[in-house]
Amino acid sequence: MTGFRLLLRARWRRDAVQLTIWIAGALLLAASAVVGVRGTFPDEADRATLLATAVANPVVLLFRGLPSGTDEAAFTAFLILPFVALLAALMSTFLAVRHTRGDEDAGRAELIAATPAARTVPLSATVVHGILANIVLGALVTTTYVAIGFAASGSILMGAASALTGIAFLGVGLVAAQLAASARTANAIGVWAVLLSYLACGLGNALGTPSGDLQRMTSAPLAWVSPFGWAENTRPYDSDAAGRLIPFAGLIVVALALAFVLSGARDVGGALLPARRGRAVASVALSGPIGMVWREARSSLLGWAVGGAIVGVLSTRLASAISQIGDTIPSVQALLQSLASQGSLAQGAIEVFFTLAGVLAACAGIQTVLRARQDEAAGLAEPVRAAGVGPVRWAGAYLSVAILAVVSCLAAATAGAAVGQLTTDASQTHLIRDAAVAAAGQAIAALTLVIVATLVVVIAPRLSLPVGWALVGIATVVGLFGPLLGLSDAAVHASPFAAAPRIDGDSLDLRGGTWLAVAVVTGVALLAAAARRRELAPER
Amino acid sequence: MDAVIRTVGLRKSYGRTNALDGLDLEVTAGEIHGFLGPNGAGKSTTIRILLGLARATGGTATVFGDDPWRDAARLHRRIAYVPGDVNLWPGLSGGEAIDLLARLRGDGRSVAYRDERARLLEAFDLDPRKKGRSYSKGNRQKVALVAAFSVPADLLVLDEPTSGLDPLMEVVFQREVRRARERGAAVLLSSHILSEVEQVCDRVSIIRAGRIVDDGTLDDLRHLTRTQVSFADAGGDLPTLPGAHEVQRRDGRVHLTVDTAEVASLLPALGALGIQSLRVEPASLEELFLRHYGSQP
Repeated sequence: MTGFRLLLRARWRRDAVQLTIWIAGALLLAASAVVGVRGTFPDEADRATLLATAVANPVVLLFRGLPSGTDEAAFTAFLILPFVALLAALMSTFLAVRHTRGDEDAGRAELIAATPAARTVPLSATVVHGILANIVLGALVTTTYVAIGFAASGSILMGAASALTGIAFLGVGLVAAQLAASARTANAIGVWAVLLSYLACGLGNALGTPSGDLQRMTSAPLAWVSPFGWAENTRPYDSDAAGRLIPFAGLIVVALALAFVLSGARDVGGALLPARRGRAVASVALSGPIGMVWREARSSLLGWAVGGAIVGVLSTRLASAISQIGDTIPSVQALLQSLASQGSLAQGAIEVFFTLAGVLAACAGIQTVLRARQDEAAGLAEPVRAAGVGPVRWAGAYLSVAILAVVSCLAAATAGAAVGQLTTDASQTHLIRDAAVAAAGQAIAALTLVIVATLVVVIAPRLSLPVGWALVGIATVVGLFGPLLGLSDAAVHASPFAAAPRIDGDSLDLRGGTWLAVAVVTGVALLAAAARRRELAPER
Repeated sequence: MDAVIRTVGLRKSYGRTNALDGLDLEVTAGEIHGFLGPNGAGKSTTIRILLGLARATGGTATVFGDDPWRDAARLHRRIAYVPGDVNLWPGLSGGEAIDLLARLRGDGRSVAYRDERARLLEAFDLDPRKKGRSYSKGNRQKVALVAAFSVPADLLVLDEPTSGLDPLMEVVFQREVRRARERGAAVLLSSHILSEVEQVCDRVSIIRAGRIVDDGTLDDLRHLTRTQVSFADAGGDLPTLPGAHEVQRRDGRVHLTVDTAEVASLLPALGALGIQSLRVEPASLEELFLRHYGSQP
């Protein structure tokens, strides 16, 4: 047992800073939602209008929770519970992989496995570590809401639902770590599982049955396949249905048991998904730095493009679902007409979805340029630079593939939108045009962020990973969710995603497009000048 | 002879630390030049500047007469490099990594390259189809060595290239380095394995705290040191011998050191003593090395 205690303490020490940031982020989100609600939707009438809009417009429900009435606390839960649970889930999958497959990749697991600590001890320590982290997160969420003055029972449910979602994905991450041959693959499996569950729940809510007064929604069965669906269906501060948390017990027990069984069935460092052998001779495509970056990035690029295509299909599919709801429910019809003055609702849906596609494209691009820094820190830049590739060409290779990543993700989204439209209502082809324009606008927005991230890689390499991802994170929160958090228009439009050109009615609304184009050109010029003077910075 | 590498008063500082402090190094074509020094003495910094991956703070460095920072990409076509700590692309097989590096240098498709690559894979007993992450340390090193030797470079920069290789592969390595010298290439070999340096290097430079403290052929360096002499005798008092230092009796033998230039004049005196099993050893590189560093705390 001393081995277990030592390993658990080592995990706490190693993660102290990182987990503090994750948990503090979740708490900040939880508390800021209350501030946003009190500032933007102070009385019941405001909240009722927003709920009605949300229920009538399934796009909002994709990213938010389950509408459960106009009570201030229940309304806060509708806005923020999915995000807090999402943070817990991501924190937990990364934690699971970091202390299992990540340690095996780095060769540390072997050091531990050679000590008298039993074979399962590192895994048990990781399980307990992850569960404790989620309990701390849940308890602090509960404390925060009780301190704000919300009802205790609902606050306990908010905390419990978040923590249980985290623990469920801890199990998923641990299973992924047993299956995959590398931490990178295991993390990718974990993140995809989280995002697909989130999307399944959002779609389930969006396709659910609204109540007559448009203040509540009953999830469609699809939401019940997702842990996020279980969490949201507890409806904290409304019906406080703690029984909806029962499925978590099943998933958690099964996932953890599976992880232990799999870890007992394989060698340390071995994988159940076998590592494939490679080619003996490089193909023609692998002849230069661009070919090299392409080889490193191509499977992630495919993933981002698939994500873009799904978002594209949803944009036009849900746009038509909105008009169908409007045709059948009179109260929705009235609401739609009142909103139709600023372009049609279908156009609005496309805009929101393509902003999301823009976020995916920016993530794809930034992930690609950050590979430059990761390769440099891993010692992979040195042999390439010593083989006749100058600093400008080296950085340019990553940027070129990043541009390809942005363009292919948004092209996939546009193609998805066309497929979604033509398979539902082939007469509304102007929506495909709107989608293409929105995609072009978002491409400029995403490129702006990618070029800024490349500049950081060149000028301040050690900061590039946190700064690069923070750029996308902040731009997303401000641009996509700023209005719901009560930010001013000027602040929202500081995000490239919100400043991108779009179609309004039948005319092109350029908005910040010119500025974005100027930023892109200036950025490229700065980059060329800065890269020339760049020394190799291999130290971490 | 043509200087392939020449640095004069080379300096490099990172903030307040001086990694290089007036380094003078010269490597000529057709020589294997040993570059010795403990960890942190500035070997890798020097190599990085010579490859144009870092910029010197002061002094000059030329490679083939050109500035390595300004003309890096052009010079690299003539240089092959093996880093001390070889990292491979996790997703690329060893064969793909070798081809990629060759193609970046502008080769990689010629028949000569393909033949040489096949010969080296065979010689180093390397499986080119494994993915980067599944190679052991020694095998990663072999990938880098095959990549370096398979292109006809005029300068090979090898930074501790044999760490992790087994003794059989060490022999293959030494054969390949000599082959490169025979076709007229210059080799800068940074190493900790002194026996390797002793066996293959024509000249040696010893670096300490960012400066070259000694350089020349091994014979030149040995000239400044004393030769070890030991023999067995009948016992009794320690004999008095001309030019002998540190005379002592250990394990039934008399040990002493003598200035290398004085060895010949010592021999008649030894003959007169009627000694057995005489052993005369010139200073090993290890002793030369320790002489420069022995005083360090």
